[in-house]
Amino acid sequence: MLTKQIKCPSCNTLTIVTGNPGEETYITCSQCGSQGRYIFPSEKTGHRSFDPHIALEVNGLMKTYNKSYAVNNVSFTVPKGEVFGFLGPNGAGKTTTIKAILDLIRINAGEIKIRGIDVHKQGKEAKKYVGYLPEKVAFYNGLTALQNLQFYAEMKHASKEECKTLLADVGLQDSSQKKVGAFSKGMIQRLGIARAVLGNPEVLIFDEPTEGLDARGVVMVREKIRDLQKNGATVFVSSHILSEIQAVCDRVGIINKGVLVAEDTIAGLSRRLNLKPRITMTLENLSDKIVDAVKRVDGVDLVQTQNHQIEVVCDSQTKVKVILAIAKAGGNVLNFQTMEPTLEEVFMRFTEA
Amino acid sequence: MKAQVMFSIAKKEILDNIRNKWIIILSIIFALLTIVVSYFGSLFSQGWQDLGLTIAGMLSLVEFLIPIIALMLGYAAIIGEIERGSMSSLLALPTLRLEVVVGKFIGLACVLTVTICVGFGVAGVIIAAMVTEVNYVEYLVFIVATLLLGLVFLSLALFFSTVFKKRSTAMGGAVLLWFVFNMILPIIMSGLLVSIVGLENLVKGDMSMVPSWYYGVQLINPISVYAGIISTVIEPASMMSQGEIPVTYPDFYTPPFLFSLLVLWIVVCLALAYWRFSRKDI
Repeated sequence: MLTKQIKCPSCNTLTIVTGNPGEETYITCSQCGSQGRYIFPSEKTGHRSFDPHIALEVNGLMKTYNKSYAVNNVSFTVPKGEVFGFLGPNGAGKTTTIKAILDLIRINAGEIKIRGIDVHKQGKEAKKYVGYLPEKVAFYNGLTALQNLQFYAEMKHASKEECKTLLADVGLQDSSQKKVGAFSKGMIQRLGIARAVLGNPEVLIFDEPTEGLDARGVVMVREKIRDLQKNGATVFVSSHILSEIQAVCDRVGIINKGVLVAEDTIAGLSRRLNLKPRITMTLENLSDKIVDAVKRVDGVDLVQTQNHQIEVVCDSQTKVKVILAIAKAGGNVLNFQTMEPTLEEVFMRFTEA
Repeated sequence: MKAQVMFSIAKKEILDNIRNKWIIILSIIFALLTIVVSYFGSLFSQGWQDLGLTIAGMLSLVEFLIPIIALMLGYAAIIGEIERGSMSSLLALPTLRLEVVVGKFIGLACVLTVTICVGFGVAGVIIAAMVTEVNYVEYLVFIVATLLLGLVFLSLALFFSTVFKKRSTAMGGAVLLWFVFNMILPIIMSGLLVSIVGLENLVKGDMSMVPSWYYGVQLINPISVYAGIISTVIEPASMMSQGEIPVTYPDFYTPPFLFSLLVLWIVVCLALAYWRFSRKDI
């Protein structure tokens, strides 16, 4: 049985509710009569003592703006050394979640821990381990790139010498003495990445890291994330560019309308949605007989043909049966390609409602 | 709370103001105004006036200028950074919101202190070299009181910077505040004085009927507190502000009490600024 104190978004009156993990309850404020829904955190993500393998833990996060839920009972954990992708349509609650993780906003309910340190109670201590790249990267325009980084280095107690190396890492060595006010959007984004990794933080939070970057910059970000992971850092990436997430993330969380609708590896989510790989084969002699033979194979969901190509959607175990059926029908396979379900398909399925 | 974090923030504020030439411009304005008032300000005699008469001549100008300068210096300190987006990066660092408020106040207070001390200081040295009688203590009191008045309005500006959601509305609020303290409150106090004393007595210069609570109410305006300090400490200013009407201030109108009031204003406004900022979603 869990007991939670929930603050009314209209009048801030506290209401105490009790319930079982995962249970949904409806609350009516005793003061103003406002009504709302609350889901008790599941046992999986419920309160636990500090686990050194967990870098980031969000539990029962709730935030309202003007009486509507921006984030409703979001819970997830990011193990140390993982690259976690945080996806969602515009306005789903991605940035609100990130701001709550960094204690930039006041939350209505929930608990957030970075390396086991409560962000709300010991924000200063928790933020020692964090590097942050905001969605809207901004600097002090009157200062040069180097002066800006040195200011943040001073605040983070990081070495000022590191700044020059970082500027070179993000390709800004030639612009280090230029005022940031004269920088392009891409240059500011690169400088933002340098600021985020300043002082080698253990947990990195990137909100739309490839925003405004050219192709070279996108590759740089991808490589940077992989380098950070290699060095043991945990990276939390929020992006709407699904290919970017798919390229670098170990696991993803999908948020829709303020609710975390899924949290797993892409393969795991595909399995949950029963999404199957797509097999494309080029045949020397594609005929109706072959197509009929493939359609008759158990476990085949979709068969499409185009010129000499046949496209089949089936699970991995059925692949062999399909090839055997083609061979039996007299087909000769010239080329064979398997495409696993994409993150885009997973994302669309989870957010279509 | 770490001093190093606050000093880093303060240093950045100072560098920003050095870069945009505010410090130089304000120092020159203060020095020139003081010199001009000292040389041309008196109707009764020609040439340089001593420091006491110069302060008396400067009083109204300072009451108008210092509040608006301090308000303009501080109104965007918090909201400007929030609007630009740099505040989220600053608060994502291991910093406390209190450190940000205090750091910004220290930085901007240093800017104001340097401009007031350099501007009035240079002018004071020039005037002292030109006149025979020099009362350095009076001039020092004037500089300290002026600085405190500036800091009161700077802390008010910081509070306003945390209240509004846009830089432009914060600026509007700051101007309105200046208008309230410089125009509205003095008009209300004059009306109150007329209703208490009566217009006839006031014309006659009979201030004996003014109750001491009136002087107490007057102290809700920091500009009146500042004027009270100058009038009680600097004799020519007292004579000029009262004209032919002898004013007997109540016993509590002592310079230490009045100075403490200005300090209280600063502390309360900073506390309010922190309280509001700590509840603000960035």
